[in-house]
Amino acid sequence: MTGAPRGGEETDEELLARYQGVRLDHVNKHFYRGLLHRELRLNRCADCGWWHHRPKPICPQCWSRNVVATPVSGAGTIHLLMLLHQGPPAEGVDYSTPHPVVTVELDEQPGLRFTSTVVGVDPDDLAIGQRVSLAWIERDARPYPVFALRAGGP
Amino acid sequence: MSVATRNPAKDQVAIAAAATTGFTRSRTGVTPDSLAVDACVDAIRAAGIDKSEVNGLIGANNGYLQSALGIPEVNYYVGPGIPFGFAIANAVGAVSSGQCDVALVYHALYRNPMFSRSAANDPFRRGAPFGMGGAGALGGDGFGPDTVRGAVGYTAWASRYLYEYGETRDLFGYIALNDRSWASHNPGAVMRDPMTMDDYLDARMIRWPLSLFDMDVPVDGADAFVVTTAERARDMALPPVLVHACTTGQIDQNEEDEQPSLHRHGQHVVVESLRAKSDFWIDDIDVFFPYDGFSFITVSWIENSGWCGPGEARAFIEENWDDDDRRLLLRGRIPVNPHGGGLSEGATQGSGHTREAVHQLQGLAGDRQVPGAARALLFLGGFFFNSQGVALRAD
Repeated sequence: MTGAPRGGEETDEELLARYQGVRLDHVNKHFYRGLLHRELRLNRCADCGWWHHRPKPICPQCWSRNVVATPVSGAGTIHLLMLLHQGPPAEGVDYSTPHPVVTVELDEQPGLRFTSTVVGVDPDDLAIGQRVSLAWIERDARPYPVFALRAGGP
Repeated sequence: MSVATRNPAKDQVAIAAAATTGFTRSRTGVTPDSLAVDACVDAIRAAGIDKSEVNGLIGANNGYLQSALGIPEVNYYVGPGIPFGFAIANAVGAVSSGQCDVALVYHALYRNPMFSRSAANDPFRRGAPFGMGGAGALGGDGFGPDTVRGAVGYTAWASRYLYEYGETRDLFGYIALNDRSWASHNPGAVMRDPMTMDDYLDARMIRWPLSLFDMDVPVDGADAFVVTTAERARDMALPPVLVHACTTGQIDQNEEDEQPSLHRHGQHVVVESLRAKSDFWIDDIDVFFPYDGFSFITVSWIENSGWCGPGEARAFIEENWDDDDRRLLLRGRIPVNPHGGGLSEGATQGSGHTREAVHQLQGLAGDRQVPGAARALLFLGGFFFNSQGVALRAD
């Protein structure tokens, strides 16, 4: 795993201070550091090219330790869909209209998926198979990755 | 692939007795350990043994249980994960390998104040541990509700099932109706009022596509079992139930959102292994216990254990539906979860399914008894981290 913050990025101490209450560790910290810079950095093997998420300390395909948190485009297809009529408290979420949660299969690699919500859409208009792209909102005073339906179809 | 197929413990370990406190959604004045103690006392008495014969304890907080019950010495004591198939697998391993001779295996359920209004009103439960549902649901990963981690993962994959097969929610309703119809015959069950498909479809939506009646019911209660060698069980008070085969199963891409598909997860590992270990399969059984923590899990076990092919559950269920009694009767004779399952007896995480199977094979199932029941298959748990299979037979 690459350890040092990139130039100008938060130190581990600064990262922990921004993410109080979140279980950061030495394996997942690169992912969370990316979010602060509005990049969705998922682990990619620098030797064989295999992407994986959630973060692991080794490439599950080739066992290389040369795994680098690497930005994805965020373009993908809705693979799983839930509409929460109730749920845990979260900033900007009141469940008065059902709150969508989607697992998106990213274009980078079959089976590479990321889960978040979808913004700017009537939840009843959502369906598995729709194309989405990455968007950013603020939650808990931090940039937070979400999806938006892609205009103009696929 | 290297799925386990050896079965040197086949029929060597027996469940000698099973007992339950019954289940409730309103009781206070108990603790998880006091419930476990009650069930353990009844199980030991039902087996007709002295507590000093017990030298293995399999369940949560077993030091406290040993102390409370005054069991003089134990050699094997472990707190297995949930659901209950891990406890059975532990007991078979421990007894067949000689780590212990007589294991007391128990599982207590305790309503969490986050999921139960009456539990929230019990001041002694304010510090109760969160339990299942997963830290993800509490925001421990910083994503709040935007997660498929933990139990919500089954809702997410249920949506995938509906999408892949063009199915509708009423398919899951058959599972809820079956459980409810049986629970009316179980005095220990919490949800005993009759339910129609309209009742099911009108239920409060919780997380589309699953509603209130697709989700098992938080309860207080406990089940306990005495497990020993088949030989020793034959000298105890009740007919032994032999553990013919058991297994658990998990794949590499096991996290909820990275599971490859509906066609490769823990259930497939379990089915391949149990089928290799067991001398009997679905057509040979008298009663069937597919897990129903969520209704969709039951549909999935029905398909994956071979009653029908992927996506064929509706046709199979409708063909095997007893409309007069609103229940499943597979091949015209095999009942499914006759204790009412997690959806209507209560969320036992598999201990209820196991206890009912034991009672059915001992002829002790009361109004629900399947005449001459001699073989049962249990498929416990879901997809990701806890798929399990158990084949039980009468001696």
